[in-house]
Amino acid sequence: MRPVKADPENTETAALHRLADFTGKRVLEIGCGDGRLTWRYADRAAWVVAIDPDADDIELARQECPPALRDRVEFHVTRLEDFAPPLKPFDLALLSWSL
Amino acid sequence: MVHALEKLHTLLKPGGELIDIHPTTAPASIGVRVRAREIGAGWINEIDDYVEYEWADEALEQVVADGRFTLEQRTTFEFVWHARSLAELRAYLAEEWRDAVIDDLTAMRIEDALKSPERDKELIVREKIGLARYRRSDSRSS
Repeated sequence: MRPVKADPENTETAALHRLADFTGKRVLEIGCGDGRLTWRYADRAAWVVAIDPDADDIELARQECPPALRDRVEFHVTRLEDFAPPLKPFDLALLSWSL
Repeated sequence: MVHALEKLHTLLKPGGELIDIHPTTAPASIGVRVRAREIGAGWINEIDDYVEYEWADEALEQVVADGRFTLEQRTTFEFVWHARSLAELRAYLAEEWRDAVIDDLTAMRIEDALKSPERDKELIVREKIGLARYRRSDSRSS
């Protein structure tokens, strides 16, 4: 556990949900890191593909993925430019501190 | 960055949404909270002076201007980090925010404020974050 607490007030989550409705959507998250933000919306989404080029972060995200989300969230180590798109397009793309 | 946004345009369904979260170009502030009082100590600077966030804004403006996306809503919020000591904050930044710089004067002010005999004290870093919603548009003229 990291001793520095990042946004324990959940201001980011509140702002994100005021701006976007994830309910039932197919989501592509770019720059997901260790999944810090992913856990805050994935329960509402139908399907989440979360990508990041950092293999260590993705491994951590996979380990920490809550059991209830494992059937709807998948993580990939890749950069956006190398990402092979699925046949069905996404409803929503989230640039997670990554542009 | 524009190329990344062009690729996202192809990955989204027509009318799909693009949500962008990234820090603004305003430097993050550092203060020390002692009980209910917060003492300003300075700023976190970046080696490249936050220039990548300007580039991000410019790239988004460009894909809106060329008709790939339309801007629907934009807002900001304050993201806050809490740390117990300067060493702890430096260790965190070294791992998570590698081009962050805390200058000597700011560090000195932090250490001075943390010398307070009060037990209820911590470092507070406040960063202004931009959040925007765009929608895929297909009005681009060829």
